[in-house]
Amino acid sequence: MLQTLAIIGLLYVGILVFLAYSARTDTKNSTQYLMAGSNLGAVLGFFTFAATLFSTFTLLGMPDFFRVHGIGAWIFLMFSDAIMVFGLIYVGYNLRKKARKSTYYGMAGFLESNYKSRFAGIVAFIGVSIFLIPYIAIQIRGVAIFLHATFPESLPMWAWATIMVFVMLVYSEVGGLKAIMYSDVLQGILLLIAIWIVGYNCLHHFGGVKAMFAEVEKVNEALLSVPGPKGLFDFQFLFGSMIAIMLLPYTQPQISTRLVILKNVKALHRMAVGIGFFAILVILPTAFMGMYGAVVYPDATTAEFLNLTFVTDQTNFVGAVVMIGLIAAAISTSDSQMFALGGELRSILKGEDKKMVFYARISIFFFAVFALIFALMSSDDLVLLARTSFAGTSLLAPMIFAGIFYDKSDELKFIPLTTLITILVFIASLFGWIPDKIFMIRMDILLLAFLSVFTLVQILLKRK
Amino acid sequence: MANERYWTFCKIAVGILIILTFTPLVMPVGVHKPSFAGMPYSFWVGILDALLLVGLTWIGTKVHPGRKE
Repeated sequence: MLQTLAIIGLLYVGILVFLAYSARTDTKNSTQYLMAGSNLGAVLGFFTFAATLFSTFTLLGMPDFFRVHGIGAWIFLMFSDAIMVFGLIYVGYNLRKKARKSTYYGMAGFLESNYKSRFAGIVAFIGVSIFLIPYIAIQIRGVAIFLHATFPESLPMWAWATIMVFVMLVYSEVGGLKAIMYSDVLQGILLLIAIWIVGYNCLHHFGGVKAMFAEVEKVNEALLSVPGPKGLFDFQFLFGSMIAIMLLPYTQPQISTRLVILKNVKALHRMAVGIGFFAILVILPTAFMGMYGAVVYPDATTAEFLNLTFVTDQTNFVGAVVMIGLIAAAISTSDSQMFALGGELRSILKGEDKKMVFYARISIFFFAVFALIFALMSSDDLVLLARTSFAGTSLLAPMIFAGIFYDKSDELKFIPLTTLITILVFIASLFGWIPDKIFMIRMDILLLAFLSVFTLVQILLKRK
Repeated sequence: MANERYWTFCKIAVGILIILTFTPLVMPVGVHKPSFAGMPYSFWVGILDALLLVGLTWIGTKVHPGRKE
């Protein structure tokens, strides 16, 4: 098995190196290196958006989420993604329209320019850094613990994590955003192949959809409806998740950048529809895997279930392809996020472009190191940690939306400070320093509602 | 002008689907029947919901006022 994995792995890394080399340019200015020339077509846009959006969280987290909490996981992710996709043609269009009026290197710089406030840019940069680094970390950790569980004799978990971060750093530092996007095409295809092979095998085990759900009903009927056996999928959880996920293209910079650098609105529209179908294709097999786990491995731990389903129950070759698919899923999202953090920093730096790009590249290295450290320390609850990251960055949404839709956002002096305060309050609730619910309402929903109302009131007052 | 109307229709339809999704029509608590092709109720209705939303997105791209920019 290890030998098969090594051969396929070397082939995969070889292709990544080739792509990075092909994308390499001697012109390391912000437009070429950080924005890939800002002229992205629909096909490349679709693959890079899909590979960046669907990560370890989808491939490893969702099957376990289906297994433990049942079919409500479909509403949690697929319904939310479908709303997000519609939002792309509405909000995404307006973001592009405004962002392309001037030079766009990142959301922080975009806000700094619209609010005419350096503080607004810094708040955006702090917000995305705080909540993206843990998200990068859990993806690296997810795959590293999986690889360690599969090959306990070969390498420790930290070594797998370090290898992944090293590979990411090499090709993104060499080839810039273009290399990341080229590799996303490969990683998106790998992800889809891996997820469908395992999904099909899980379904085949039962002989069909009907037989599968009949078996699940015998084992645990509560998995077939909401809120699920543990009561997780209540209105607040699903509604809060929908809001956080539909805002991702604007609150997570690795995605916003891809919207802005698309060459025209037609490319944006084609990409949006493609992502909608791709989401269905990616999430559906994770339901099959989850139901398989619910019947065959109901009492296994997350790591045991994933290891048994993805590797032990597959042939050597399929197991190796799946593992490369998993690594690809983790790398394709994490590299984009680390790179986007570098872009965010660049967008608020002032000075000679070449020098600023150099600083951004250095910062990417440090973001990678922070993510690696966090990966070695964080918990294994991938989906819930990812959701926390989504909820955290969603607190930037009212400030971002006011920047996109309100032409006089420079008059909204209190928005950046209020956003920063709500981020700090949310963090305090995550650490348990203050309650995570007030009057039975989740803190993330409450804070986002407060910020949205506050922003609207500010705009209405200014209009008067 | 007709396109503007269709675009508004798309936005309203998406809004209605969002509201309906959070009602017992899509997510009845603790209920998994009637099933369709063996799939539990909220699951197959959820798939239909997602397909409708992606379909509306596709229509939206055809009628969006800024599509020719």
